Amino acid sequence: MEGLWVALLGLLTAGYFALAGFDYGVGLLFRFVGRDEAERTGVIRTMTPFFLGNEVWLVAAVGVLFGAFPRLEGELLSAHHGSFVTILVGLVMFTAAVQLRSHPLWDVPLVAGALIVAAGWGVLLGNVLGGPPFLWAAGLVTMFLLHGAVFLTWRLHGPLRSRAVLLARVLIAPSAAFVVAAVLLSGPVQAPTYGWAGATLVLFLLGGTWPALRRRLYLLAFLCTATTCAVPALAVFGAQAVVTTETMSHAPTLEALTWPALAVLPLVLVFQWTTWWMSRATR
Amino acid sequence: MDALGLARLQFAVTTSFHFLFVLLTLGLVTVVAVMQTRAALTDKPVHARMTRFWGRLYVVNYALGIATGIVMEFQFGLNWSGLSHYAGDVFGAPLAVETLVAFFLESTFLGLWIFGWDRLGKWVHLALIWLVALTAYASAFWIMVANAFLQHPVGHEERDGVLRLVDFPALVANPLFGLAFLHVLLAALTVGGVFLTGVSAYHFIKRTAEVDFFRRSLRTGVVLTAIVTPFLIGVGFGQFPIIGEFQPGKTEDVSGAGGAGLGFMIQIGLVLFLVSWLTVPLLFRDWVVRMRFPLYLMVIGIPLPFIAAIGGWLFRELGRQPWLVYGLLRTEDALSDVSREGMLFSFIAFTAVFAVLAIADWILIARLVRRGPVDAPAPVSPLVPAL
Repeated sequence: MEGLWVALLGLLTAGYFALAGFDYGVGLLFRFVGRDEAERTGVIRTMTPFFLGNEVWLVAAVGVLFGAFPRLEGELLSAHHGSFVTILVGLVMFTAAVQLRSHPLWDVPLVAGALIVAAGWGVLLGNVLGGPPFLWAAGLVTMFLLHGAVFLTWRLHGPLRSRAVLLARVLIAPSAAFVVAAVLLSGPVQAPTYGWAGATLVLFLLGGTWPALRRRLYLLAFLCTATTCAVPALAVFGAQAVVTTETMSHAPTLEALTWPALAVLPLVLVFQWTTWWMSRATR
Repeated sequence: MDALGLARLQFAVTTSFHFLFVLLTLGLVTVVAVMQTRAALTDKPVHARMTRFWGRLYVVNYALGIATGIVMEFQFGLNWSGLSHYAGDVFGAPLAVETLVAFFLESTFLGLWIFGWDRLGKWVHLALIWLVALTAYASAFWIMVANAFLQHPVGHEERDGVLRLVDFPALVANPLFGLAFLHVLLAALTVGGVFLTGVSAYHFIKRTAEVDFFRRSLRTGVVLTAIVTPFLIGVGFGQFPIIGEFQPGKTEDVSGAGGAGLGFMIQIGLVLFLVSWLTVPLLFRDWVVRMRFPLYLMVIGIPLPFIAAIGGWLFRELGRQPWLVYGLLRTEDALSDVSREGMLFSFIAFTAVFAVLAIADWILIARLVRRGPVDAPAPVSPLVPAL
């Protein structure tokens, strides 16, 4: 029972970073990939059909955290009060701006929000791990930028795609450098295996992104960078053994929550898949 | 003000803002679902146009409301970690169900509804808006279950200094839940009815050419308000005996903001009930439009149900003090170990952001309202890719 809930929390967290990661990347990049307003609108609209679906993975993850890991929820959020408040402020700016963007002026909160959220998660993970927060802030921004660029190589065509491919290639090496630096500069951790495994997997996937882009296997490249975005949070929380059974709810609560969770998750997956499938059909 | 005061003020301010968005979201989604149903059944273009116009207002409001909702969810752990520590096993359960069953699904359905406009078959698309509405109600359902637990904790036992869940169905059977949930739903429908009425009246004041469009909208709004308000008032007064039994002294000792809130709520509820029923006969042959002066009252009346709802909420929550979980956990004992500066930072940051959101919501809705129904193929949301 406990294992199921740890797995669910991990899945929702990974889903959030893998999906919302490209939202923030596209938010940071669309003004560079698109040269005029029409192009920029076109670029950002490759992301918007998935936007609501992507962001709610975080809401679901925190819901599970509250219901199934209440003592971790209180501990984690209040201990990193400043980081979470910053992330939330960025998230609110980004969420509102993406959905209401009717004028280029909205790009100010949109780009700023994406940057604050990406850097905020980096600072948070750096603090949890005991690594340098600045490095982690820059690192997560770089990884989300790469993920966004790769998403755009998959969803765009013509000169816009060429620009996205160029950006993605430029961003691979800094992402790999961040992973190496993060491992070297991390403090002592409880379970180093998670850190090593995560870093190795990310480096392997980044190594795969390059040839995938060269061979125009854009979907494959996208799957690689999606996984690279999901790994850091899991690796950091795993390495510091943050999630323990002591922080979890007792059996009756977990039992009461199991059926709703098992019923909803497949539904959400089916409906989110439908959105992806529909956008493929009309592209 | 100390960290406790700041944390309480922050909760009151952010929840009030959030509640404003939620009320309009719940009210409008119902109205939009009904309009879309009529559009699907009759194939009359006016119903499809109404769905699009009111649907856009709904989507704008939802877009900003979801942003406030995310902050609400985090706030418990950020500022009130004592609550998660002590009562998380019980209080966290309905909140987790809310985020999983309702919020997660609702946003997914809404994304598909927005994106599926003109792409999906009309019956599938219609089913989606009803699913959005149902999951929105489910959201309110579980939030009120959680809130009722704070008012009257049931279904738990205390062991090793923390609460454990022993009876999940008891949370739903909580006497402080059922009527309060109905009351909130009816209040949201009243907000929707008054909003529809006020916006339509504005267009008649501006001598709109869209007479048929706004006549139908105005009638829907007035009739909805007239049908809902008697039940709203009945369910409201029906709660006093329950409060008297489980929270003795709450109604008698009430003073300050809570007491004023209760007074405003009752007066506004009665006024809306009387005025909506006086207006119903005037719908005959558009008398109410020809008389003109009621139109101005309708526009002025738009904020009233919002004020009433905030008043009622203040009464419910302030009347619970000094308890966070009634009789079990004091508010001051649940505060997170966060410095006063940290709390001040989050209070200022969230209040500023929420104020900007509320103003942006108001400006955007006002602009869409002024523009009126346009026949250019404007998408229902900027989230929709150009076809």
